[in-house]
Amino acid sequence: MTDLARGSAPTPPRGPTQAPGDKQFVLNGPPVARPIGVVNWRGLWTLYVREITRFYKVGTQTLAAPVVTTLLFFTIFSVALGGDAHTVGDLPFALFLAPGLIMMSILQNSFANTSSSILISKVQGNIVDVLMPPLSPAELTVAFVAGGVTRGILVGLATGIALWVFVGLRIHDPVALVFFGVAASAMLSLLGLIGGIWAAKFDHIAAMTNFVVVPLSFLSGTFYSIGRLPEAWQIVAHLNPFFYTIDGFRYAFIGRLDSELWLSVAVMIAINAALFTLVYRMFATGYKLKS
Amino acid sequence: MATFYRREVHRGFKIWGITLAAPAIRALLFAGVFALVVGSSGKIVLGIPFLEFLIPGLIAVAILERAFESAAFSMVYDKTEGIFGDLATAPLTPGELVLAYAGASVTGGLIVGAVVWLALLPLGGQVPAEPLALVYFAVAGSLIVGLFSQIAGLWALKWDYLAGVQTFIFLPFVFLSGVFFSLDQLPEALQPWARANPIFYLVDGVRFGITGRADTDPLTGVIVTLVCIIALSAFNYRLFAIGYRFKS
Repeated sequence: MTDLARGSAPTPPRGPTQAPGDKQFVLNGPPVARPIGVVNWRGLWTLYVREITRFYKVGTQTLAAPVVTTLLFFTIFSVALGGDAHTVGDLPFALFLAPGLIMMSILQNSFANTSSSILISKVQGNIVDVLMPPLSPAELTVAFVAGGVTRGILVGLATGIALWVFVGLRIHDPVALVFFGVAASAMLSLLGLIGGIWAAKFDHIAAMTNFVVVPLSFLSGTFYSIGRLPEAWQIVAHLNPFFYTIDGFRYAFIGRLDSELWLSVAVMIAINAALFTLVYRMFATGYKLKS
Repeated sequence: MATFYRREVHRGFKIWGITLAAPAIRALLFAGVFALVVGSSGKIVLGIPFLEFLIPGLIAVAILERAFESAAFSMVYDKTEGIFGDLATAPLTPGELVLAYAGASVTGGLIVGAVVWLALLPLGGQVPAEPLALVYFAVAGSLIVGLFSQIAGLWALKWDYLAGVQTFIFLPFVFLSGVFFSLDQLPEALQPWARANPIFYLVDGVRFGITGRADTDPLTGVIVTLVCIIALSAFNYRLFAIGYRFKS
């Protein structure tokens, strides 16, 4: 609205109801909608910034807490097992474990970000503020996912630095690091969107987190190499998308994989594409959002 | 007071699916992961196979978490609904309030403990070797943590505060208390600090109750826990009496 004022004719004299310093909203003729074009960049950016601010405001909970829990996990595993100079192959257990822990916190926090955002909006009744503006389903999805990915990356950085203090983490393949970090948080952000849209109460989100996200992130090779599992379970592990995120992410640090690199990359891209389409459909049809 | 106690217990188990299943799943996950990592290396801690050492610790964690959530979640939920102030007008003495909340913590803790024990049986759990000790430490544990959580619940103004207490105080104390490792696995310098952690005695006592082995003499644990219970009860009584943060 202020744009209209800026480019207008000389400002008219102040009316009796306006105090000095009020912005002058001057309309030369009937209001004209701001042209948007193919992509509503401004809207997308605004929603993205809101998502970022949302988790940044409670930074202790959203950024510091994961660091504390990751360090706790690292400590108990190191002390409980460290005595034997436990190794995985020829790798010290700590070096094997650390990337797994970082990825685990990325996964859980990306999911939490989008799912809580949508659900809180629904519960508080301001989901309409997200649906009313001229944002296409694709733009909505991209903005929310970008918010989730940002949180995932920040949490990954924070936990990574915290662990690097204790373990001499070395990065073998930075490109893989960035790819799998982003792909994993995108995947869980999308899952979080699906969860948040589907859920009607916080208990539903808690159930999804406790019975799906946490078990999958624990049992996907975060703490152990898949090779230790019996044959049948190895196949099951290969069907679990979380496995590829952890495998690829760990590869970025130690240069070793349980499965093939191209396979992990392909699976991540395919899963993200599929989830994106699903979320797009959910926003487009207004599933559980518009009645 | 009986009504209040019943309400508190009822709250915890209205959503029994999550209240009972979530701790069981968490315990199974930890047990499963550790089983896979330790595998067939035949690791021995305190003279028993590692998994047998770990399982009582996991049961203790489940009991303590349930005891904490019982009172604290209930209080903060009441605060967000705006009805916590009703406590000031209800015809309940401070002692009755403390007792009711604590009773619910103990009930919840014991039920969850039993469920988790059942769930972990197939993985190597065992029938308690010293049932009396087990019952004592389970009850004492739920009491101490339940009383502590009353303080947290009274102090917390919003969910964020409670989450903060859980993440930065409760969880570290519990995780670093000998649930996953025996004291001698800690570096020499840190061992006195571990002994200063009251939760250590609780976990140690539960482990003694189930396996008959412990890091320290269970009698020390009994004394420490009794002291804690008395001190916390008195403190909480004062807090409720002055209406800390709910009488304005």
